[in-house]
Amino acid sequence: MTNAIRTEQLTKRYGGTVALDALDLTVAAGEVYGYLGPNGAGKTTTIRLLLGLHRPTSGRAELFGVDAWREPVAAHTRVAYVAGEPFLWPSLTSAETFEFLARLHGGTDVAYRNELVERFQLEPDKKIRALSKGNRQKVQLIAALATRADLLLLDEPTSGLDPLMEVAFRNCIHEAKGRGQTVFLSSHILSEVEALCDRVGILRNGRLVDQGTLTELRHLSAQTVEVTFDGEVPQIPPLPGVQVVGAGPSALRFEVSGPVRPLIEALAERPIATLTSREPSLEEIFLHHYDSSDGRVGG
Amino acid sequence: MVASAASDTPRPAARRSLPVVAAARRAVTDGRIRTLAFAYLFAAVAYINPVAYRHTYPTLAQRLAFAHSFGANKAVVLFYGKAYDLLTIGGYTAWRSGGTLAIFAAIFGLLAAVRALRTEEDAGRAELVLAGIVSRRAAYVASVSAIAAQTVVLWIAALAGLLIAGLPAGGSAYLALAIVSVVPVFAGVGALASQLAPTRRVALELGGAVVAVAFVLRVVADTSSTVSWLRWATPLGWAEELRPFTGAQPLVLLAPLVTSAALLIASAAIARGRDIGRGVLPARDTAAPRLRLLSSPTALALRDARGTVLVWLAGVGGFALIVGVISKSISSAGISKQLQRELARLGSGSIITPTGYISFALIFFVLAVSLFVCSQVGAARHEEAEQRLETLLALPVARPRWLGGRLALAAASAAALALVTGLLMWAGAAAEGVDISLARMLEAGANCLPVALLFVGIAALAYAVVPRASAGVAYGLVAVAFLWNLFGDLIGAPKWLVNATPFAHVGLVPVQSFRVAAATVMVGIGTVCAAAAIAIFDRRDLLGS
Repeated sequence: MTNAIRTEQLTKRYGGTVALDALDLTVAAGEVYGYLGPNGAGKTTTIRLLLGLHRPTSGRAELFGVDAWREPVAAHTRVAYVAGEPFLWPSLTSAETFEFLARLHGGTDVAYRNELVERFQLEPDKKIRALSKGNRQKVQLIAALATRADLLLLDEPTSGLDPLMEVAFRNCIHEAKGRGQTVFLSSHILSEVEALCDRVGILRNGRLVDQGTLTELRHLSAQTVEVTFDGEVPQIPPLPGVQVVGAGPSALRFEVSGPVRPLIEALAERPIATLTSREPSLEEIFLHHYDSSDGRVGG
Repeated sequence: MVASAASDTPRPAARRSLPVVAAARRAVTDGRIRTLAFAYLFAAVAYINPVAYRHTYPTLAQRLAFAHSFGANKAVVLFYGKAYDLLTIGGYTAWRSGGTLAIFAAIFGLLAAVRALRTEEDAGRAELVLAGIVSRRAAYVASVSAIAAQTVVLWIAALAGLLIAGLPAGGSAYLALAIVSVVPVFAGVGALASQLAPTRRVALELGGAVVAVAFVLRVVADTSSTVSWLRWATPLGWAEELRPFTGAQPLVLLAPLVTSAALLIASAAIARGRDIGRGVLPARDTAAPRLRLLSSPTALALRDARGTVLVWLAGVGGFALIVGVISKSISSAGISKQLQRELARLGSGSIITPTGYISFALIFFVLAVSLFVCSQVGAARHEEAEQRLETLLALPVARPRWLGGRLALAAASAAALALVTGLLMWAGAAAEGVDISLARMLEAGANCLPVALLFVGIAALAYAVVPRASAGVAYGLVAVAFLWNLFGDLIGAPKWLVNATPFAHVGLVPVQSFRVAAATVMVGIGTVCAAAAIAIFDRRDLLGS
C-alpha cells in the first residue's frame, strides 16, 4: 500500500531563514498523524509544501505517491484541506461556498454534508462576511469533511471553535478514521492530539525532533513515581536512572527513565503508605523537547 | 502595577505620543504609495502642459489662432473643462492641467476617505484601534487629518511641477490650490459613503457614482451655454470658477470649504452613533443560495466581478454616448489649414469635424479599457493576498487554469467594453444625424482592444514576477504610456521615442484606419507576456499580503 504522505529531505528556505529542515516524514494510509509544534515551528510551511503551494528548496513531498509540486492537481484529487485561517469569499453564503468547493473538488457527499451542517449548528444561508471566525472555520471543516477525501490535511482546524464544536470535531475525526481516511492534524492543542492521533511528530525550529506512537514517546521520557510513607522519609540509595525531583516531610517524588524495577525493589522493604505512578503526559514530553538544550523556540 | 515594583524598577522611557497622532501617522503611512503615485501624476501633468504650450505656440499670433479655434471647441472642453484664457501659458495650464487633475483629485479624495474610514473597519483593524484609548472621535479626526496631510503633499507636488515649468509662484500656488480644493469635498463624499454603505465595496460604488455625476454635470455645464449655471452644482465646476491665472476668484473657495466641512461633520455625527463594521444602510447577510456561476474559479471570479463590469460598461457606454451626441456640433469653419495641422498634433487627431472628434476622443476610451484590465488583474492578486487562493489551489485546480481563466475574463470584459464604446458612440452620433456607419464605429471601438490586451499581458507579468508591487507597476505603466503619447511629441522628443508607447500605434478610426499590423503585434506581445506570466506563476510560492 502506498503511503498517504511521504517527504524526503524536504527543505524550505525563505531568504536566509530555514523554515523546514530536511524533513523525512511518512504517514501511512489510514493513520491519524498529529503534527505538533509551537507557533513558527514550520507546521504551516510543511502543509504548504505538501500541497505544492510553495516550492521546496530541496527534497520532495508526495501525496499517495504523486509529487506535490510537479503534479499538484493529480495530488489534490484525493485530498481535502482546512487552512489555519478561514479565508473564504465574503459575498458567498455558506451554502454557496459548499457548492463551489464541492464542484472544484469534483463531488462531495451531500447527505453527509447536511448532517454535518446540523451537527455543527451552522446557518447555511448566512453570508461568509457575516460569520464569526469560528463559524467560518466550521464552513471550511464541513466542506473538507464532506468530501470524504482519502487524506484530510488539517492546519490547526479547531482554532476558534467552542468546546461543544471541538467535541463534534473529534467525533468526525473518529468517524473518518473508522472509514479508513488518513488524517494529518497540525496542532498545538496537546489534549486534542493525545485524544485523536495514532502517531505524533514533534517539530521544532523546522526540524522533526521526535516521532512515534504515544507509547513510544513515553518510553523515551521519564515517568513519575510518587510515594508517601508511614512516618519519616527513609534513606533511599542512589539508583541508576532514578532521580529524586521532590520531597515532602513524608513523601518523595521520583523521575524514572528506563526500567522502574530497581526503584520498586529498593522501596519494597520500606513503610510505604501509597504509591502512584504516572506516565508522562504529551504536554510533559512536548515541554521536555522545548526546555532542553539551547531552548530556543523558532519564531 | 504594584507600587513597590514601580518604585524599584524605573519605568522604561516609553515614547510619549498622543494616540490621535499615532493613529494619524499610521493612516498616512498606510496611504503613502497611493499618495506618492498621485503626487507624481500631479507634478508631471502640472509640469508638462506649460512646457508643451511654450514649445508649440511660441508667438502671440499662434496663440491667438489657437485660442479662437481650439479653446472654443466643445470637443476639447468635454475632456479638459472650460478655458478662460488661452493666450498665456498660465491660462492654458490652468485649463489643461487644472481640468484633468481636478478629476484625479476627486478620485484621490474618495479613495483616501474610504480607505481610512471604511477599509480599516472591514478588515477588523479599526476595532483594535478603538479597543485602545483612542475614542471614535479621535480615530475619525486622525483619519481626516491624514487625508489633509496627503492633500498638502499633492498641493506641493502640483506646485513643484508648475514652478519647475517656469510659472510665477503666486499664480502657481493658487492654481495648485484650486486643483486640490476638490480633494476635501470628495473625501467628505467618501466619508459619508463609508458611514452609509454596509461594506467597503458599496461605499466605493456610491462615491464613484457621485464622482461620475459631478463629472457629467461639469461636462454639460461647459459644453452648453444655456445651462452653464450647472457649473455651480459640481465641485469640479468650482475648481474652474476659482479662475486661476485668469482673474482669480478666491471667494469661490468658500464653496468647497463649506461643503466638505458639512459632509465631514455629518459623517462624524453618523460615525458616533453607528455600530463599528456596519453601515447605516442594511446589509443583506442572509440569502437563499444561488448556484449559478459556481462551477469553476473563473465562473466565481465572473460572479464577483459582475457588478464592477456592469458599472464600467455603464460609465464607458454613457460617456461614449455623450461623445457621439456632441460630435455633431464640431465644425472646422474658420480654422486655417496651418492650425488644423497644429491641432492634429496636439490632440492626437484632427478634432475639427465630427468624425475627427470621435477619433480624438477614442484614445481616452483606449485608456479607460486599459485601466479596467489592470483592475481585473489586480482582483486576481487580491484573491492571492487574501489567501483565498490557497483554498482554491489546495483543490484539484491547476494554477494555469486559474490564472488563465482570470486573464481570459479580463480580456472578454475588455472586449465587451470595446463593443459598447463603438456601439454607443455610433448611437449618439447617428441620433444627432452624423453620417457614420455602425460597422465603422464598431471598428473604432475594437481599437480599444489591442492596447488593452497588451496591458493584460504586462499586468499579468508584473503580477507573476512582483506580486506585491504589481498593481502599482501596471497602473503606472498605463499612465506613463498614455501621458507620453499626449506630450512626448509636444515637448519635442525624437520620433522613435514618442513611438515607444502603444497608444501611439492606435489607428484613430474613423479618420484613420484600423492598424491591423500594429494591433497584431500588440496582441502578440500581450499573449506572449500572459503565457510567460502563467509559466512564471506556476513556479513561484504563493504570497500573502
